[in-house]
Amino acid sequence: MPEIFINGTAVQADASQTVMQAAQASGHFIPYFCWHPQLSVAGNCRICTIQVEGRSWVEIACNMPVAEGLRVLTDSDLVRAHRKQVMQLLTLNHPVDCGICDKAGECSLQDYHYAYNGTASVSRDPKVTSTKFHDLSERIVLDNERCILCTRCVRFTREISKSNALGVIHRGDASLLRCAEDHALDADPYSDNVIDLCPVGALLSRPFLYKARVWYLQPTASVCPGCARGCTVQIWHRKDEWKLRALDPAQNNEIARVTPLDNPAVNGPWICNKGRDLASLLGRPRAEQAMHKGAPADLVAAIALARQLLAGASKPVALVSSWGSNEELTAFRDTLGGRCTVFVKRDREPEEGERIEDDILIRADKNPNAAGARALFGDASLRAPEYTDDTDLVLVWGEGCNFADLPPKAKIIFLNAWLQPENGHADVFIPLSIQTERAGHYTNADGVVSAFERCFAAQDTVAHAQELFAALAGDRSD
Amino acid sequence: MPGTPLLMTFPVTATSHLLEDYRARGGYVTLGKVLAGMRPEEVTKEVAAAGLLGHGGAAFSAGRKWGVVHLDDGQQHFLCANADEGEPGTFKDRWILEHAPHLLIESMLIASFALQVRHAFVYIRGEFDLPYRRLAAAVEEAYAAGYLGAPDPGTGFTCDLVVYRGAGSYVCGEASGLLSSLEGKRGYPRNRPPRLTVRGLYQRPTVINNVETLANVTGIIAHGAAEYRKVGTAKSPGTQLVSISGHIARPGVYEVEYGYPLTRFLFEDCGGMLPGHTLKCIVPGGISTKVLTAAECEGVTYDHASLEAAGSSLGSGGMIVIAEGTCMVRLLQVLLRFYHHESCGQCTPCREGMGWMHRIIDRIVAGKGRAEDIEQLYAISMMNDGTTICGMGDAAGYATVGILNKYRDEFIHWIEHGSSRCDGRLEATAHA
Amino acid sequence: MRHLIPEFDRLKARFPEGFESSLLLPCVRRIQEDRGFVADSDIDGLVEYLGVPRIQIEEVLSYYTQFRRAPVGRWHVQCCRNITCSMRGAERLIDRLAQRLGVAPGQTTTDGRFTLSTVECLGSCGTAPVVMINEKYHENVNIEALETLLTGLD
Repeated sequence: MPEIFINGTAVQADASQTVMQAAQASGHFIPYFCWHPQLSVAGNCRICTIQVEGRSWVEIACNMPVAEGLRVLTDSDLVRAHRKQVMQLLTLNHPVDCGICDKAGECSLQDYHYAYNGTASVSRDPKVTSTKFHDLSERIVLDNERCILCTRCVRFTREISKSNALGVIHRGDASLLRCAEDHALDADPYSDNVIDLCPVGALLSRPFLYKARVWYLQPTASVCPGCARGCTVQIWHRKDEWKLRALDPAQNNEIARVTPLDNPAVNGPWICNKGRDLASLLGRPRAEQAMHKGAPADLVAAIALARQLLAGASKPVALVSSWGSNEELTAFRDTLGGRCTVFVKRDREPEEGERIEDDILIRADKNPNAAGARALFGDASLRAPEYTDDTDLVLVWGEGCNFADLPPKAKIIFLNAWLQPENGHADVFIPLSIQTERAGHYTNADGVVSAFERCFAAQDTVAHAQELFAALAGDRSD
Repeated sequence: MPGTPLLMTFPVTATSHLLEDYRARGGYVTLGKVLAGMRPEEVTKEVAAAGLLGHGGAAFSAGRKWGVVHLDDGQQHFLCANADEGEPGTFKDRWILEHAPHLLIESMLIASFALQVRHAFVYIRGEFDLPYRRLAAAVEEAYAAGYLGAPDPGTGFTCDLVVYRGAGSYVCGEASGLLSSLEGKRGYPRNRPPRLTVRGLYQRPTVINNVETLANVTGIIAHGAAEYRKVGTAKSPGTQLVSISGHIARPGVYEVEYGYPLTRFLFEDCGGMLPGHTLKCIVPGGISTKVLTAAECEGVTYDHASLEAAGSSLGSGGMIVIAEGTCMVRLLQVLLRFYHHESCGQCTPCREGMGWMHRIIDRIVAGKGRAEDIEQLYAISMMNDGTTICGMGDAAGYATVGILNKYRDEFIHWIEHGSSRCDGRLEATAHA
Repeated sequence: MRHLIPEFDRLKARFPEGFESSLLLPCVRRIQEDRGFVADSDIDGLVEYLGVPRIQIEEVLSYYTQFRRAPVGRWHVQCCRNITCSMRGAERLIDRLAQRLGVAPGQTTTDGRFTLSTVECLGSCGTAPVVMINEKYHENVNIEALETLLTGLD
């Protein structure tokens, strides 16, 4: 364990660390563009320079191994002068169009400009122009004038997603970030991570383009329900104080974007594109009306009816949702679990064209909480549902059940969040809240439990499953 | 002949580059001697004792470079001769490649034995056609004769040699850029650490020496380090192939013994200036070295210490002689255009700085210079001083600062008057 | 490029194992000698033969000045304009070439016979100025010599 000194403060470093890593680990900030903890060292941006005490020159921290007794300065006059020069060079031909750039507000170039430069360009020559609005993929727009060629995105596709989709063509200041001509980035299900990785506004999300200034949004911690990996994410939505009253108030309850929530135990700093697209998965048309045999019913009345059916059933079977939170599943077990034969249902199957499984993040089971359900209901609950001749009621919780497979004479209670044709075929249908309308936990395939928080309020015509089960199990009969 | 020659020791004829002639001159005898009776570390020791310096520009001790490689580390080691001679004004290695290719091959075999290298490479710039054909033919002769590709009966030592052609990129002359290129990628230089002798080609220990550096190995082993040290100076033993060009009467490649008087070399060995011209300045060792004015050349001897004392360096041995009347603004414009063209674009200071400087000098030459431009060129040069991945940024800065320091008045004149004080001429002779 | 694979295989034999990526530059050079430029189908073939990512080939082709993805004229006239050549008259040669061929550097004559390029140092400063026509160096070229050279090209 070498001891090094950063600005005179002793820091215990690991022998394999660079000065950048040791500084990060000990809370000393050294600015960086091209460096990233999960990527190889490129050492090309040159902003992370430091000065070894006693030397008259600067060196880059990201590629400097620690050594016993090494003494470095991260904020000497020489370092400050050099950083200012690097910022002058990086902004020399950068358009500085923050006013119309989605990255504004979370841009390293912008932040470092204020921190390390703070003055106008010393150049009075016209800026060199380059390609704008280049479609790097169907999902990602590239502005080459904003690009600082840090190659984080390139290294991501080589080292993490392994699509080798991106590269830098030409050379010198004519260098251009480009996708391989076979459009390999379109086939990379992790492509959108490069948007987060981009330290400037060069790579932008097509769906999010010009949708919102980031300072009007707030992130809520959540878990991606797209597969059994259960990646932790941040769901970005409009801040309360910036809710729209006019224009398009629907935006107030929409997911603006989804970004990864760094989690070494599950997904590190990455998520796949399916996680980015939760707005479409969770933005599907909702069921908001309780029904009795297809006819609209009052929610309270429907719950009462369902309770009645359950109370009267002699051999009920329950298909519980693998999209239920641990809290909801526990509530089910504690209330109705003892009275029903329980099978855990796979609410969703892989969609056409979706990557089924890989050794990066994506898991074959496209449901977030089969592991949580299995822990509560046992391995046997995961097998295909079995019905007997005397199965007289099936409680279906969540989507993905083909009613034709259910015993024809059994009554059906259907609890579902989505507007789907089956809803009207149930004897009782009760609409449910979705993940973004409640808090809870999922257990991922590796047994790691992650929490999600509430983003939006639910309509009062839908039920929260956790409370619903207690009501359904109530022994009071009408 | 400017001093004692070590490489140009035979008359160049139509067949002097062929194996038969080389053997008649005693070729491959030294290799035999090494394989029959020396241990690898003895070879390295001898090279180190000779004080053989790198002849490509950095003048780093070859013996020390070799000494970094651990023979018993259980890894593959690689050797690569750097024949990517691209520094403007430099064409000295061409002489070896065209006229003494077997000397290079024999030397590389001796070096490969010393470093326990199974596969050696010559990285040759893609534009070199005749040098490539000569070397490639010599390699085939050496294969046919069993020097390459076949095990030595005594030691079992076997070595393959690949001649690898570049494809047009100046930074591939930088050792790590060369390795990137040899790995089939763009010629992006790499950050140090690690040193290439620790992790080089495909992350294995790799020694890269300039062609001329390697070419001297056979002589050092044949005659011993002490003999080698008898030539040159104490700090700079040996000789340097100097390629001289520009406004000089007899341009070409000369072998100059270190310590030889510079002006004697220019005015006697090379025949002085083109008729009717006087010396303005020289670029002593490739355009990345600072210019020396005629006055500064006085009393200088051709060796590393003397040239450094004069404020420049020996560099790659590519000397450019510039006559009075040559426009230094235009000259810098040509240099900056070149650096801008050749920047690989990987790291910020060089990628942005080279284009910036080029645009400023173009604007000055277009008659739209501004008073602050000179200071701006200095400032950008300093932004590249020691801050880039490879030395190209520094080199461009040195060249710029060297010219600005000594010929500032020409720049001021062009900025103030919108035209050159010397007619914007680079050519030595007035043309109709 | 498929007909060149036996040649590539022989080349490979001289390289150490695991050096497939290194074969990229020599293979591209050979393809270019054969076809005159590198076609998209050649890139596909190299991806398959060498097992390197397509983007690596695209990067390499665009990085090195000698590689090209479109044909050039039958005679590719490249005039060095670096320092020594300029000091020995290259700038006038380039002007004359442009005038004589009726194209600017970087362009090809409409009949497809000539492509004119300027290049940086060709390492022939001792015999400057140098003009490279296809693979061959022509050294100490003056205006008269240039005329003779061009006249000799069909």
